[in-house]
Amino acid sequence: MPKSDESPLVLETRGITKRFDHIIANNNISIKLRKGEIIAVLGENGAGKSTLMNILFGLYKPTSGSILIDGLPVSFDSPRDAIAKGLGMVHQHFMLVPTLTVTQNIVLGKEPVRLGHVLYKRARRSVVELSKRYGLTVNPDARLEDLSVGLQQRVEILKALYRNARVLILDEPTAVLTPGEVEELFAVLRNLAADGTSIIIITHKLEEVKALSDRVYILRRGELVGECRTASASAAELANFMVGRDVVLAVERPAPRPKPEPIFSLESLFVHSSRGLPALKGVDLAVGRGEILGIAGVEGNGQKELCEVIAGLITPDSGKILFKGEDVSRWSVRRRMDAGMGYVPQDRRVSGLVLPFSVEENLALGRSDRPPLSRHGFMKFAALRAQALQLMENYDIRTSGPEARVSTLSGGNQQKIILAREFSRNPDFLLISQPTRGLDVGAIEYVYRRILELKERGVAILLISMELEELFALADRIAVLHGGQVVFESPTATTNEAQIGEYMIRGRYERSIS
Amino acid sequence: MIDFFAALLTPQLFEATVRLATPVTFAALAAVVCERSGVTNIAMEGVMLVGAFFAAWVGWISGNPWLGLLGGIAASALFSLLFAWAVVSLHINHVVTGAIMNILAFGLTRYLMMVFYGRQGTSEAVAKTLHHYKFAIPLLSDIPYVGPAFFNQTPLVYLSIISVFAWAWIFKRTRLGLSLIASGEHPMALETLGRSVYRVRYLAILISGVLCGFAGAFLSIENSNSFTEGMTNGRGFIALAANIAGGWRPVGVFIASLFFGFVDALQMRVQSLGIVKIPSEIFIVFPYVATIVAIAGLVRKSRPPAAVGKDFNIEGDGE
Amino acid sequence: MSVSAPRRIRMVLKALSLILAVPGVLLYLASYFWGAWLLLCAIALYAADRFLAVGSAVFGSEARKLLSRAIVPVAGIGSALLIGAVIMAITGYNPISSYGALFYGGLVRNWHISVLNATPLIFTGLAIAFAFQGGFFNIGAEGQYYIGVIAATWMGLGSTLPGIIAIPAIFAVAAIAGAALNAIPIILKVKTGAHEVVTTMMFAYVVRTLSPMFIRAHGGDPALTSHPYTTDLISESVWLPMFKDFLPGANYRLHIGVLLAIGAAFLVRFILMKTDLGYKIRAVGHNPVAAMTQGISVARITAASLFISGSLAAIAGATQVLGLDHRMFQDLNAGYGWNGISIALLARNNPIGIIFTSLLWGVLDAGGQYMARTTQTPNAIIEIVKGIILFLMLAEVIYKRAGSVFGRWAGRFKTAARKGAGA
Repeated sequence: MPKSDESPLVLETRGITKRFDHIIANNNISIKLRKGEIIAVLGENGAGKSTLMNILFGLYKPTSGSILIDGLPVSFDSPRDAIAKGLGMVHQHFMLVPTLTVTQNIVLGKEPVRLGHVLYKRARRSVVELSKRYGLTVNPDARLEDLSVGLQQRVEILKALYRNARVLILDEPTAVLTPGEVEELFAVLRNLAADGTSIIIITHKLEEVKALSDRVYILRRGELVGECRTASASAAELANFMVGRDVVLAVERPAPRPKPEPIFSLESLFVHSSRGLPALKGVDLAVGRGEILGIAGVEGNGQKELCEVIAGLITPDSGKILFKGEDVSRWSVRRRMDAGMGYVPQDRRVSGLVLPFSVEENLALGRSDRPPLSRHGFMKFAALRAQALQLMENYDIRTSGPEARVSTLSGGNQQKIILAREFSRNPDFLLISQPTRGLDVGAIEYVYRRILELKERGVAILLISMELEELFALADRIAVLHGGQVVFESPTATTNEAQIGEYMIRGRYERSIS
Repeated sequence: MIDFFAALLTPQLFEATVRLATPVTFAALAAVVCERSGVTNIAMEGVMLVGAFFAAWVGWISGNPWLGLLGGIAASALFSLLFAWAVVSLHINHVVTGAIMNILAFGLTRYLMMVFYGRQGTSEAVAKTLHHYKFAIPLLSDIPYVGPAFFNQTPLVYLSIISVFAWAWIFKRTRLGLSLIASGEHPMALETLGRSVYRVRYLAILISGVLCGFAGAFLSIENSNSFTEGMTNGRGFIALAANIAGGWRPVGVFIASLFFGFVDALQMRVQSLGIVKIPSEIFIVFPYVATIVAIAGLVRKSRPPAAVGKDFNIEGDGE
Repeated sequence: MSVSAPRRIRMVLKALSLILAVPGVLLYLASYFWGAWLLLCAIALYAADRFLAVGSAVFGSEARKLLSRAIVPVAGIGSALLIGAVIMAITGYNPISSYGALFYGGLVRNWHISVLNATPLIFTGLAIAFAFQGGFFNIGAEGQYYIGVIAATWMGLGSTLPGIIAIPAIFAVAAIAGAALNAIPIILKVKTGAHEVVTTMMFAYVVRTLSPMFIRAHGGDPALTSHPYTTDLISESVWLPMFKDFLPGANYRLHIGVLLAIGAAFLVRFILMKTDLGYKIRAVGHNPVAAMTQGISVARITAASLFISGSLAAIAGATQVLGLDHRMFQDLNAGYGWNGISIALLARNNPIGIIFTSLLWGVLDAGGQYMARTTQTPNAIIEIVKGIILFLMLAEVIYKRAGSVFGRWAGRFKTAARKGAGA
């Protein structure tokens, strides 16, 4: 139910511009938010959404332009000012201290104190009250790190409400949630809006815009390119606006081979996490040549350990990792790579690339110690250069040259470097984790195409992704990881997002009786 | 053999244990406060040295050891502000800055030795040391072993013990403690809740400076009566080790410091007994070896604050 | 095989540049200051070669880049000296005469002492830089220096072998000893993640504390000799050759250790930049997780980096014994480990840069002593100036801020000037 235009304006920005050294992240952006309204700020990655929100929240200072609250201009020097004016923010990467309790996290920064002494009883009471009032149940004494992602997000929302937020800003709120959790979150947000809270959600997902918002602003390359009532625009129109061209989201997926010859498998694999808790509890999986097996699941259900144990960074407590008939579970990373296993890690900046190194140096990682790149321990720089130039051409890596620092490249180009490095090794098996996180649509299409090409060549691929869309676009079969176990496995053709989503949350499937 | 242990494990040994643990305790608490707030502080060695120097100097010219103590604390605090400015505001690497601060402290105290005393090595003795104010707590001090060790000491020793429990309480129950923990675990969370991480870290480093001031003053005008160049002798680093061994917790750190105090007291006692004909160096080296052993044995048991040693830069984190 | 004319010219230029540079360096180090002319000629020839190779535009931009890179160090040293002067003035010393004595003493009169000071510093600086490149902070280099001194003295006492065999053997043993001292910190680092700052520092204290036992066992007698007591002299056969042997005008104490140190700097540079090991060390230094994911054994690289670092620091000690001291002193309080940190930081871990920062430190130390003798200004002021130099060099932010203010200022000036010209 869209709010009428007569509701009072709560928040307004006029001509906000933000310039980082050379980049204009936001250019002359003006938006309006009314009481009880839900608006969406839609844009691709890098469109400037997060910058805008950080400005609204006082983390960045705008280069020019002004913010008005209740019609009066304000200036935020720090989040403190924004909070004082009734703004609350739920960040994409939660701003929660994992070692503190729920109560401590909620009251942090606005603790009830007497002489510097925190009145925890009173704090706990307000948290309980608050969560009752908004139906956001959460155990106030639990440690944050023990909660599921969905519950952690609840704590984030409670944090804002505890500060009497009248405007709630949510940055990519559904990125880490299961479909079921998304529904719950939307219900909560609708309730809040009905209660008079104004809400801004920042997202790049069209369905969410359609499902939740009253109005939508569309950002592209730092500029506001459109604004409309959600009800009056179709998803295709919005997508067009956002990308500036027609997007073909569906990829043509080659049919799975009838009976792929299995080349890689896990047999009752047990692994414990770095905190000493069981993370994988008896995982069995098998991938065949020319097959893509997708792993669905909510983050934190063992994906990290699964990647590390297959890549060889940690050793399993028990169980086998079979590759071409041999148990590789005790092999070094290097030996696995040499045998034909490859790994595209999830966080390219942390585990994929050496950011201060040049493109050519990054492309040499993992093969620097043998011909042609080096001989008897001495590097051959001409060979390094030649390899880089070739891969840059083959994989369409756009840089100022092979000696450009990787840290200066865009996310898409960084990812292409990793793909080039892994794919050019001609692996027989490839583990790919979250290959498109943070990439724009163009780059995503490219990555999909290369992955499917590899599959055509007969490579066995294990694809871990939090995005169901991605799995349904690429995988031949989908398995669901929940609580460190594979709770479900099915050919993609015979399942659907709802079913997978259900397994992701509960670990089991209850046929709804409708 | 039994005689040997009887001669060794006297009440004096335990008293000495607590006494010698005191500077390490202060410095280790300083390390806890800093590291919990996310700052790796290897500058403590130098900060302590500056504190020791100024405590001795102010104590000497004023003739009052309490003024000396204040002088030492003020100097340490000021000196540590320089560290804070470098790591928090200028975003220089914590460990590198710490190393430079130590170099600066050695140079500064050596130079001021020449300026104030006109010589190198050891300063003039203060007229009266803080050791003068030793007092026993009635009743408690009569408990065998524990009494003389903990309840017949000097004010600074009592203060170090009180500080331990005070800090345990601060971390557990107060707003300051909560802010320090958040700043060390997830600084951005604290910042987005409207509390300045810069300010919290400045405060933490300042507090650590004050605590190092106590430690330094203890060395120069409590345990001794003058300042000697380089008299901290690695205690800043031992404190860092005590902090790790104690699991970043005040009480744990206190126990670790007591352990170092005990090793130190033991080596002095064995040396003075002269029962064993072994070069004294073997004993002097005990605390350093003990540190390595403690690190080797305990380091994996606890988790350091997630953001310790990492720079925090609000706008730098953006696109 | 025909070589084109410009190429032939370039080859000649290069060869000439090298032919002039080597004796230039030797002569200058030995206080034959006219060697500087040879050096300047060599630099000019090198520049000419570069000019021919890349053309005037690139050459100009390279020169400008080099100059702009020099701005921060020069400004840092300049401001530190200025602050030092203020401190001296406040505390009642004459900064002008003090600095006059400092530079006269360090650069001219006692230049050979500056060179002698710089020699071990180059090695310890390289040691620290090598570890830094791998992401480690070998703060205990002082301890490895001591163990190098001990190893060299022990081997050198009563050695009967000819120097040509014994000297390399002594260096090898010292290097191994220095590396061995880092073994436990390496194991702790790899197995438990214990920070090397604490562990290497503790080993430094252990070695330093125990070293008097070694001295007493080899001739040092606290009762007989005055403080500080020393070991007996090592055999003359293992003393390093002196500059005087081939340049009669050189100071009699100046030994060829400095040449070894310069050689070591080039070797370290080669290892870091041109070998697979160096590449891996730098990869681990920048991002151990990515390196591990790509099959590089981080444990092995950690070990290699800290072993080599320890060896370099120990070689510093051995050079000092074989070249200068010829014995071990009790409580030598050398501070080469700490100064090595400064030098490496100042040179931004660039091995060739370390040669120059070491010389700077050597000059400050030698000049400081001369200054203290002739003007009564305490030479500890030098330590303060050094600390301030470091501080200012690392706080790039200050220069960036100052630079941007200056830039805006200059910009305003330029537009004003343009307007003026237009009108």
